[in-house]
Amino acid sequence: MGNRRFLSSLAAAGFALLSLGGIAQARDVQHELGTTNVPDEPKRIVVLEFSFIDSLAAVGVAPVGLTDDNKPERITEQYRAIIGNDFVSVGTRKSPSLEMIASLQPDLIIADKTRHSSAYKSLSAIAPTIVLDSLTGDYHSALEQAQVIGDAIGKSEEMKARVAAHTARFESVKANVANAKKEGRTFQFGVVSSRGLYLHAPHSYNGSLLMALGLPLSLSAEGAGVSYESAYVKTSLEQLSEINPGVLLLGRYSENTVTDQWKDEPLYKAVTAVKEEQVYYVSGHNWARLRGIVASELTFDELEAALAKVAEKTGK
Amino acid sequence: MARASIKLLVLLGALLATAVLSLHVGGRADVGISQFFSLLSNSGERTLQELVMLDIRMPRTVVAILTGINLAIAGVILQAITRNALASPSILGINQGAALGMTLAVLLPSVFVVGVEAMAIIGALLAGTLTFGFSGGFRGSIRPLPLVLSGVAVGAFSFAMVRFTFTLDDEVARDVILWTTGDISGVRWHDTTALSLWAFGGILAAMLIAHKLNLLAMGEAAAQGVGADPRKTLLIGAVIAAGLTGVSVATAGPMAFVGLVVPHLCRIVVGADHRRLLPAAAVGGAVLLLFADGLSKLVVAPEEVPVGVIAALIGAPYFVYQALFSKELDL
Repeated sequence: MGNRRFLSSLAAAGFALLSLGGIAQARDVQHELGTTNVPDEPKRIVVLEFSFIDSLAAVGVAPVGLTDDNKPERITEQYRAIIGNDFVSVGTRKSPSLEMIASLQPDLIIADKTRHSSAYKSLSAIAPTIVLDSLTGDYHSALEQAQVIGDAIGKSEEMKARVAAHTARFESVKANVANAKKEGRTFQFGVVSSRGLYLHAPHSYNGSLLMALGLPLSLSAEGAGVSYESAYVKTSLEQLSEINPGVLLLGRYSENTVTDQWKDEPLYKAVTAVKEEQVYYVSGHNWARLRGIVASELTFDELEAALAKVAEKTGK
Repeated sequence: MARASIKLLVLLGALLATAVLSLHVGGRADVGISQFFSLLSNSGERTLQELVMLDIRMPRTVVAILTGINLAIAGVILQAITRNALASPSILGINQGAALGMTLAVLLPSVFVVGVEAMAIIGALLAGTLTFGFSGGFRGSIRPLPLVLSGVAVGAFSFAMVRFTFTLDDEVARDVILWTTGDISGVRWHDTTALSLWAFGGILAAMLIAHKLNLLAMGEAAAQGVGADPRKTLLIGAVIAAGLTGVSVATAGPMAFVGLVVPHLCRIVVGADHRRLLPAAAVGGAVLLLFADGLSKLVVAPEEVPVGVIAALIGAPYFVYQALFSKELDL
């Protein structure tokens, strides 16, 4: 009897030691709003921005909960191929449901600085929360954030390797861009809907990605760091003709867009990109809403395809 | 008579000057008023600059004129039928009701099948009816303070509903913000049709009831004394005002203060007789919006400030002045 008690207390002590070891391994993660103690290898992760899904997918980790803006198609097939479909939507990125998040009993929450800072306390009460600047961050900071996330979920080495592979891909695209540059065209990305054309300035996320690649952009870099809104410039046809991009890369956000409405207008036809048939429709969702390693590689694919067509047409 | 024609000349001169301003400035620096004249003389192949003037600048200027006319006429009518100097489409919640109607039409197109323009007018009518109802307007007596308070309440409610859409989606939110600030940067000739029909019909109808509006202004009892049924005038006036506001909001978004400030200023210039006040306000409204349109393209060129913001920047200080010093308000 006494023996057994001794054994069981030994087991209990051993267990306590083990869990102590666990706590000792738990790491402090520095983020936008301070330092958070994150458990070792969190298993139930909830993410509140698309770029965080991207970072998890980059190292093959599936979240239990994510924000899909209540539009399942916003979690694209490229992500689903990696993270599967066994996640729960916790609502919109703008106002995620705290109740849904709590019900998932997460052990790590990754939130956005702009959108979720005001909910940081509530989120922290549910689970250890780290806050990163996804919405207003640029391409470079998206890669840094991926590493922070990799460290936080105990996949530092995997993430380092993934970022290295990504960087190699980035460099090859950059070489491609350098070739295209010789043709002397300026490029401009924007998203277009039935309500208007929004060009993405060099200090927007996508602008920073294209700038990093060395692509000559049509919009000037003035106004950088002014505000999130200033990165997305509502552009009238008259302004577009003044900016006069040589290649126009457009993401379509609705069926009938203003560029469709403009297509018979002489001024639109006089824009260099339109006149020389250098308007390419790309996935606005991948280019602008999604951010991070996986998403930017999708952007690379579409950009290289467009560059090839530009070269082909110019060669003729 | 000489003084009246001087006033007319001043108004028309202001119209001409602001129209030139609105036509002259814009995204392209190489397009200006000279293209307007070369369009008139050039019958052959048109240059790109001339086409910008014809396809983009001119319809925008026309929309500014028509929106200004519509909102000013709506303001004059509302101030007459409510006998309240503070009445205007934005103060009575009618602008906001129209914006709510449009928002519903865009968010739930399958439920509200009548289309964006019609929903704007329906929203405007409904908001106006509610404001009148809450302030006791249907019982026959409209007192200024309850009317303004009801209008503020109806407007705040409508706008709260519109703002709710901000939480839904970034792109929807951006669109709604655009409508709710008043923006005419993307208009083309086809946007002018409904506006011009309403403007023409609105001026005509308002002129036809101008005499009755004069009688109403003396007080309902006096109006009844000379055999006019004030309720009929009130109803007709309200429908015209809501229609004019709705169609303007559907094209340009709600422009605050135009319908409030213009009737006041014109009353100072031409007096309270609606047979003169209505045409003067029509011109005045056009002038104010043309001026605002010109400024909206200049303030942060080459980008633009929505014209509604500029209109509010011009109108709001006058509203405050009016609220603080006016004797007519009698709050």
